Amino acid sequence: MAEGKIENKMDKKDIDFQKRIQATFRIEAEEHLRAFSSGLIELEKTTPKERVAEIIETMFREIHSLKGAARSVDQKEIEAVCQPLESIFAALKRNEIVLSSASIALFYKTADWLSKQIASSVNEQTVASRKIQQDIIRQLKEVAATKVIVPAMQESSEANSEQSHSALSGPISETKQVSDLSVNSTPAQIGMVRIPISKLDPLLLQAEEMIQSKISIDQRTNELKDLCDELNEWKTEAQKWRSRRAVATVALWNEWCDTIEMHLNKLETRMTEVIRSMEHNQHNLDLLVNSHLEAMKQVLMLPVGYLVETFPGMVREISHEQNKEIDLIIRGAELEIDKRILEELKDPLIHLIRNCIDHGIGKPQERILQNKPVRGTINLAFVAKESGQVEITLSDDGKGIDRVNVLKAAIKSGILSDETAGKLEPNEVLNLIYQSGVSTSQIITDISGRGLGLTIVQEKVEKLNGKMSVESEEHKGTTFRILLPLSLATFRGILVKVEEFMFILPTINVERVIKVDQEDIKTAENHEIIRIDDQLISVVDLAEVLGLPEHKYVVPGKMEPGSAYSNQVRLAILVSGNYRIAFKVDDMVEEQQVLVKRLGKLLYRVRNISGATILGSGKVVPVLNISDLMKSAVSIKGKRSETSARELFVPKTDKILVVEDSITSRALIKNILETAGYQVTTAVDGADAFTKARTGEFDIIVSDVDMPKMNGFELTAKIRNNKKLSEIPVVLVTALESRDDREHGIEVGADAYIVKSSFDQGNLLEIIKKLI
Amino acid sequence: MQICKRNKEMKKEIRIKLKERAIALAKEPVEKDTSSANIDVIAFTLGAENYCIESVLVKEIYPLTDFTPLPGVSSYIFGIINVRGQILPVVDLKKFFNLPERGLGELNKVIILSNEQMEFGILADAVHGTQTIDLEDIRGIPPTVSGIGEEYLKGVTKESLILLDAQRLLSDEHIVVNDEVN
Repeated sequence: MAEGKIENKMDKKDIDFQKRIQATFRIEAEEHLRAFSSGLIELEKTTPKERVAEIIETMFREIHSLKGAARSVDQKEIEAVCQPLESIFAALKRNEIVLSSASIALFYKTADWLSKQIASSVNEQTVASRKIQQDIIRQLKEVAATKVIVPAMQESSEANSEQSHSALSGPISETKQVSDLSVNSTPAQIGMVRIPISKLDPLLLQAEEMIQSKISIDQRTNELKDLCDELNEWKTEAQKWRSRRAVATVALWNEWCDTIEMHLNKLETRMTEVIRSMEHNQHNLDLLVNSHLEAMKQVLMLPVGYLVETFPGMVREISHEQNKEIDLIIRGAELEIDKRILEELKDPLIHLIRNCIDHGIGKPQERILQNKPVRGTINLAFVAKESGQVEITLSDDGKGIDRVNVLKAAIKSGILSDETAGKLEPNEVLNLIYQSGVSTSQIITDISGRGLGLTIVQEKVEKLNGKMSVESEEHKGTTFRILLPLSLATFRGILVKVEEFMFILPTINVERVIKVDQEDIKTAENHEIIRIDDQLISVVDLAEVLGLPEHKYVVPGKMEPGSAYSNQVRLAILVSGNYRIAFKVDDMVEEQQVLVKRLGKLLYRVRNISGATILGSGKVVPVLNISDLMKSAVSIKGKRSETSARELFVPKTDKILVVEDSITSRALIKNILETAGYQVTTAVDGADAFTKARTGEFDIIVSDVDMPKMNGFELTAKIRNNKKLSEIPVVLVTALESRDDREHGIEVGADAYIVKSSFDQGNLLEIIKKLI
Repeated sequence: MQICKRNKEMKKEIRIKLKERAIALAKEPVEKDTSSANIDVIAFTLGAENYCIESVLVKEIYPLTDFTPLPGVSSYIFGIINVRGQILPVVDLKKFFNLPERGLGELNKVIILSNEQMEFGILADAVHGTQTIDLEDIRGIPPTVSGIGEEYLKGVTKESLILLDAQRLLSDEHIVVNDEVN
């Protein structure tokens, strides 16, 4: 199986890598299987229909993930079993199959076989095992074939009847073992961390040391209390002496003074001692906290390899699907990065790599024409930079980004006017690819081409306090560069004051903070601008953008008492994505290391604020979300100048024809679209839809592919051939996930193609918004 | 000095509370057997009303010394506070329930509500400690007693304390701020 898995020569390093990847797969696969088995057990016990649907959904996802994982490490035997199993669960989800106790028994048998196969480290299997495997596959296919169209809810979930137990106790003796395995875990495996013991030990040690610190501090508290008590005694004594003042002799008086002095000296000595011990404790605690933080950070650091080891398989698979030959070369996989950052990086990187394969690198024949090697190369490199950052470069030797096409797409989506388009610098044109809605792809697929992907990638990178840039040379290739902090804790921020409020601006978004004269800020078309380095940038008031209470607009020349720079204004020039805006602040306090904390579950997402930090004084200060802030600033500017918003909003009167044979899917899609403000008409199959389309007026048609009478492809073809209807955009929603089908979709003239398994309403709405 | 005193009071309060809880816990099995259902509540004042809330969902009572308001959120989000290094959002129930604002309260306590899914603080003018309430003594709400939507109330006790439904508050999705920028 190793052959061709990695395109480089097989040396020892590769073998090690193979071992590691298989080990990783085993752990992951066991998790999926455990969750699947837990689901099975619950399925046997549960009757409420909603819960059953939930469990089936979870199990479907688990088996789907297991299949994917198996495929990426070339475990064909496992994949072969997962395939029919997944189909069954997909059908169960759609209520097309009735769950029977016999099928549950079969699922147990399957889980058992899978667990054995996963545990055995080799990809081969014994004759007996193969026989069982073929048996299982045959039986699974039989179950899948019982597929009937049950229109509404499923009828039977009497899986917990006696029958199922008898079915279970028969041929499958290992079933019990599987269930034992799964008792302790819940189906949801989210938020798990695997930590090597070597990293945990120091943590444990530190925790123990903390007990010592706690005891010491308790003691100091007691010592201080004692001192306090003693002082109080002396206070009482002093009052006694005050009352005796009249009768006191000089000798007595002197004696008293001596005693007082002596005791004061004693107290002082003890006090000094407590202070010294306190300082000692504080010093220890400082060290302890610092090393604890460091060790904690180490726990969360993982080598990049964990993130990227499935990438070569993925690249091979996708490029194979598209008849391309592509090598992925990864460098710097040993670099350690905070786990939380790695996790957030996974999707953006996969997206970028897909982009390279889909749009960057051409088919072999194209490459030959351009005198390029037949095999394309994608380079993914992780390099540690000074100042605790990592630079990720992803480059391909493909076609490069066609700037003309980008400009066309931007103008088409309304982001640019023809006029401004002509004035853009080449690199400014490239930056347009981040704009949502700009895609140069001919057909929209759910993976790439919707022009949303890069926007999301960029947002993710910025959320991690990173920066992203792109370089591209036509016919030579494209390079994406991402600069990220290695750890989430190494975050620097600038503390600013606006009126009585304090905020943190992430340093990475602050180009600079400057003081300018009020006169330098000019007013144009109702909003303020300033010229900096020969560039005009907008000026907005941070207080106004944030909507601070009792906000006083900054009056030009506002006098600050005792200030010689009374008519000076402080501007923080912030950059994010394509925005560069100057924000007025009252004061810049300092730049400092910031530990960003979440706002709590109640505040899931707050506009303009990404988190909060606690200053040394204990004061809580919000950390601003610059990408939000930019959008808020733009919308305020828009409101003020009362120009019509160029944002794409949903026109309330757009009419949509939804074609879907499943009553539940139909209701779901109708509901989503109506909530978004569209007027929806439904049709039950292609023939019905075609009739309705001819008699009614529609702005877009959303259709299922698999339907009785006339399917989605036929419908699309008919619409394209009809004079009156040919211009209507058609979105195909389908359960089929093959490239052939997508291409079939293009052939018949569909404008977009969404695969049901990855269906979400945001997806659908974005596409519709774009097409209408 | 004052802080010291307050801390002392707090400690005393906590000690008493813990004792009471311990006693209540020790009693519980017996009471369950005799099937007379009691619940422990924490009584507090907010604005013009006296409320109580089930103590099982109260994680702790925290003194409100400082807070940070957040710009641009609904007014019922009073702000965020620092609870031993963690950020805790604090809700002003008067605003959430649309109760009339009658003068300035003392607002010096935060009752921290918590279950597995959610955690936040609610403001209180004063906290009066715990009591045990017989569930049978809880009556329905006369519609005029309070401006609060009935769905958040469990009833009124003999002592005219309004029993808030903490579980409901914690699981209410209307209270969660999830604000996208367009």
